[in-house]
Amino acid sequence: MKLVIDEIRCKGCNLCVLVCPYRIFQEGTELNDRGIVTPVLDRPERCTNCRLQPLYGRLLCGVCQMICPDQAITWVDERPFEPHKVEVEF
Amino acid sequence: MSTTEWRREDRLPHIYCSGCGNGTVINCTLAAVDEMGWKREETVFLSGIGCSSRAPGYINTDSLHTTHGRALAFATGVKLARPDLHVVVFTGDGDLAAIGGNHFIHACRRNLDVTVVCMNNQIYGMTGGQGSPTTPPGAISTTTPYGSSEPAFDLTELAIAAGANYVARWTSYHVKELTKAIVEGLQTPGLAFIEVRTQCPTNYGRSNKMREVSDMIEYLRSHAMLVPKYNRLIAEGKPIPEGTFTVGELIRRNRPAMGVRP
Repeated sequence: MKLVIDEIRCKGCNLCVLVCPYRIFQEGTELNDRGIVTPVLDRPERCTNCRLQPLYGRLLCGVCQMICPDQAITWVDERPFEPHKVEVEF
Repeated sequence: MSTTEWRREDRLPHIYCSGCGNGTVINCTLAAVDEMGWKREETVFLSGIGCSSRAPGYINTDSLHTTHGRALAFATGVKLARPDLHVVVFTGDGDLAAIGGNHFIHACRRNLDVTVVCMNNQIYGMTGGQGSPTTPPGAISTTTPYGSSEPAFDLTELAIAAGANYVARWTSYHVKELTKAIVEGLQTPGLAFIEVRTQCPTNYGRSNKMREVSDMIEYLRSHAMLVPKYNRLIAEGKPIPEGTFTVGELIRRNRPAMGVRP
């Protein structure tokens, strides 16, 4: 699963930044086309729902989706063999 | 079925301000209704006038957007004409406490089988930030520029005194607990009243030194006190901090209900 912020719906309230236990959402710095600073995702593959939803078959955590007042946060299925950015931590 | 099927996706994004808590309450209510497994054709959402009452417009079911304060009066009609329908009422604090106060008391007295979700943002948000009956003492609004001098309404106490079957209070920060409370309310026969303290950064927070959404959320989080802790502090005779409100299930009882689904 992949975490997606809908840029059309997001109004930039940064509530998701407050509630995410993994601090995946970070406050953005650049305006988008609608003049709104949307949050940016910091290594979204750490999200427990992204990793484990297929295994458990239910929504895990999901507080960001629940608290988002603009219904902008969703999880979508990845296409097979989608390229991933790999970071090696020392 | 997921909550996306309950929403009118073509109506989104909605008109609420950035950081408004009403969208969160819609999410939680839809998650609760979805968990109940109700059909869309058998569920009716009602609302009065106000920011909160825009909510049924974004929900893909039959809904009634009624006159100011009269959502519960219309809900009485819907429920008595068609007891097989599930009725959920969205109201705000100005809608329910100010102009619809008597309808609320009498709906609680009759113990009508509806679920009332009250989004209490402690101010009239849509009309420009006038003080409402739930504006706390000392809070600054358009009509109380030197600070409100009146005591505020406690809607949950009013519902308990008037005879509602299930009364709970949560905030828009406690999303999981709020969803559970709404599910409990939907399952309870008789009137279930869930008060949700929401943030209004545009009109309430701006004039009360909580301009950012995070400040208002922090206020809700730090001033909420669970009912067991409150009772323990009272029993031990310790002082309750100023401005705190209790959250959690406040009452559950089995008074005879009206209009229960046959």
